[in-house]
Amino acid sequence: MTVWKLAWLNFKNGFKNYLSLVISMAFTVLVFMNFQNLIYSEVFQVLGEHNREYIEVLVQVVSFVLACFMFFFTGYATSVFLTRRKKEIGTYVFMGLSNQKIGKLYSIETLFTGLTALGLGIGTGILTAGLFQMILVTLAGLTVEVHFFVSAKPVLVTTVIYLVIYLFFVLKGYANIARSSVLSMISAARQNEYVRQNRLILLVKAVFGCGILGMGYSLAVRRGGPEILGHAFEAVVLVTLGVYLLFGGLIPLCFQTLAENKRFLYQKERILWVNRVIFRMKKNYRTYAIVSVLILCSVTALAMGFAMRERYENIIQFEQVYTFQLLSSRDDLADQAERIIREYTDIQYQGEAPILTLDTSDIVTGDFYNHYAVLPYSAVRKLAGSVSLEWNIPEPGDDEIIRVSRLYLLSLLTDRSGRQVTIGGKVYRQTGETSEPYLGYLQEQVSFYMVSDREYERLRPLGQELYTFNYKISDPAAFQAVKERLGELVGDRDGEYTARVAIDPEKNDLDWVRVLYPFCIFMFLVFLMSSGSMMFMKVYNDAFEERERCRVMGRMGVEESVLGRAIAWELGMAYGLAFLVMAVSSWFSVRALANMMYADLTGVNVVSVLVVFVILLFCYGLSVAVYKRNSR
Amino acid sequence: MNENKIAEIRNLVKNYGVKGFQSRVLKGIDLTIFRNDFIAVMGPSGSGKTTLLNILSTLDKPTQGTVILDGQDITRISNRELSKLRRDKIGFIFQDYNLLDTMTLQDNIVLPLSLNGVSPGVCIQKAREMAELFGLGEHLGKYPYQLSGGQKQRGAACRALITDPEIIFADEPTGALDSKAGRELMECFRKVNESGRATILMVTHDPFCASYARDVCLLRDGLITCRLSRGGDRKEFYDRIMDMQASMGGDFS
Repeated sequence: MTVWKLAWLNFKNGFKNYLSLVISMAFTVLVFMNFQNLIYSEVFQVLGEHNREYIEVLVQVVSFVLACFMFFFTGYATSVFLTRRKKEIGTYVFMGLSNQKIGKLYSIETLFTGLTALGLGIGTGILTAGLFQMILVTLAGLTVEVHFFVSAKPVLVTTVIYLVIYLFFVLKGYANIARSSVLSMISAARQNEYVRQNRLILLVKAVFGCGILGMGYSLAVRRGGPEILGHAFEAVVLVTLGVYLLFGGLIPLCFQTLAENKRFLYQKERILWVNRVIFRMKKNYRTYAIVSVLILCSVTALAMGFAMRERYENIIQFEQVYTFQLLSSRDDLADQAERIIREYTDIQYQGEAPILTLDTSDIVTGDFYNHYAVLPYSAVRKLAGSVSLEWNIPEPGDDEIIRVSRLYLLSLLTDRSGRQVTIGGKVYRQTGETSEPYLGYLQEQVSFYMVSDREYERLRPLGQELYTFNYKISDPAAFQAVKERLGELVGDRDGEYTARVAIDPEKNDLDWVRVLYPFCIFMFLVFLMSSGSMMFMKVYNDAFEERERCRVMGRMGVEESVLGRAIAWELGMAYGLAFLVMAVSSWFSVRALANMMYADLTGVNVVSVLVVFVILLFCYGLSVAVYKRNSR
Repeated sequence: MNENKIAEIRNLVKNYGVKGFQSRVLKGIDLTIFRNDFIAVMGPSGSGKTTLLNILSTLDKPTQGTVILDGQDITRISNRELSKLRRDKIGFIFQDYNLLDTMTLQDNIVLPLSLNGVSPGVCIQKAREMAELFGLGEHLGKYPYQLSGGQKQRGAACRALITDPEIIFADEPTGALDSKAGRELMECFRKVNESGRATILMVTHDPFCASYARDVCLLRDGLITCRLSRGGDRKEFYDRIMDMQASMGGDFS
């Protein structure tokens, strides 16, 4: 029998063992290929060149993340299977096969698995390309007609990237087997030693783990200026390391301590599952840690998606609060402008307010803007009333100031309390911040500060006072005509200056942000599915190891229901602990994100954790059933 | 059933293979086991020793005949009841110890009791008693990989005895032990049997081990062909077993 034929037979007979690996890999390939396909698809053409360019960059970023993930996941999956196969193929040593031949056998077998996953992924990817685009467009809330479209290039790119990654790990596996000693291969199955770990080492790991995790959490939610980007990076590293040490230190330490309390341990099947958890933790803690971190990433990705969508909608609402804004040195333009607009359409609402523009040399804030202006409290309150915007701001004191800011998609400035602003040599304490769009689009261009009316009067000689006239029209179709007519007012004549802002109610230059939301959902699904399959693969292999122990207990008269309950508890602990660590960590990561996105993401956090719970519950149920079947 | 009868086997037949190509391994065994018996079953390879043990210990079903254990015909009861019988009335000692490598010796010993819902205090106390009896008091906190073969097998014996079963079935218990460890184990078996704590049915090919029993049944071609009783001296009993083996011929290994 040739090595190829033997490998094929092994692959065919053991296909069930590879199924979870094949499905997970195929799903990753499917998503990767579909993302690549978006670049060549016409679906985003209608959004215009500007949006298409942004989306292409986003797709490339997502593809890069997916490729990195594919690399990591392939490495993990092949190493799990290498360990398992090593035990089985080690027996070929007795048939006189050299290590190189055994390595070749493994490589060919693994290649069959990889190619099956690739074929399945590309095949389903092509079949679902239309559906994928449709889901994406629907989730993004775009009104685009989707046609079935698959280009050869994404298929080729996906195949090449996947094969390069896969072949790398196949060759790594080959080298591993070729270099293994015969003894290590044939004895791989009986390495059940060192069940319990050294308590002191566990204690050290636990202390470090808790400390590092605590530091990570505190860095994640720490507010500050631009340095929070560095904090966020440090938090990611620390939380990952902390979770790793938690599963490698604190959790086994707790279980070992519990197992030493025999009055706790000798409670029916508890004796079985607590001991099994201790035994498995030594071997599986890395997997549990990886799964926790992966799900944490997926929850954060989902929260990011939701936050982006909310942000996008708010920004659009912010920009669209007025259709036209006039900024003039004249204070008597209101009637003239209203008359022009009413020639074409009704006015939904309108309002006016003075602003005091300052020279950048007269103001020190810590921010870096080109334009600064001061607003009088009562005029802004009147404007808010005219356009029905929320108003719950108390009048600032003489040395107080309130920032009237814009909405940011993402901000690195998360600490805004107690800041100081110096205007004309006087220091004001910033007591609050509002991002209600009182001055609409102008708020995005100018850095506004609101002061008391008395302070405004005092500051007046410092800058130039201008007047804003703001209008929201009822009929968007009249936009162009009104814009042209209002253009007649614009100019710089006889020392009088007038400018106009016109926001097209149908403008879509931020549509690319909407695509982020479905992208994040897909990333969430990829991470979550992979985490589930990693746990499943581990459980699948563990169940085979448990077979002999279950046989012994069956002979001792231990009922299947008792074994079943012990299995349910053991796996419940594995899934439950990974979920718990993730849920706690996600509170910090989502909070950090919420600080940067100026959003309340608590609801998103709870919902995404619940979604993860439901999916993990499904994986858990499946794992318990498979474990019971395989361990019999 | 006589109060002292633990098991009664009548006309036990076991066939293997498919219809038309069957081989009869047990050909009509009759055996009665009384409380506090210590019976060794010997026989050449293929004589049906393990098959007999598997049927008696409810792990296999006979083709024909009855096995009354604790007043129940085990050939007619459900799997659930069989599990209960195995758990409550029978203790097992296997050749390869079958201790669970994920637990300490104490946890292994206590396992059947704990799964039966016995209180932790009783579990701990009984485990210590059994361990002292088998000379394992110092090793309760160790894992199987930290124990010698003899210690593991004595641990398995503790586990088998901790539920005070009606009968202990031992399948080649010294098969994987050196002679010293084998002797120590047999001494322990003798001690618990003579103290009235255990009724033992042991399958072995080793006449030295068999000489620790009170009775030796010789199985040949699916039938019990001879039964020897010890009477007094163990050494004299050993010689008689050897003589009987020699007269029967065949491979007893």
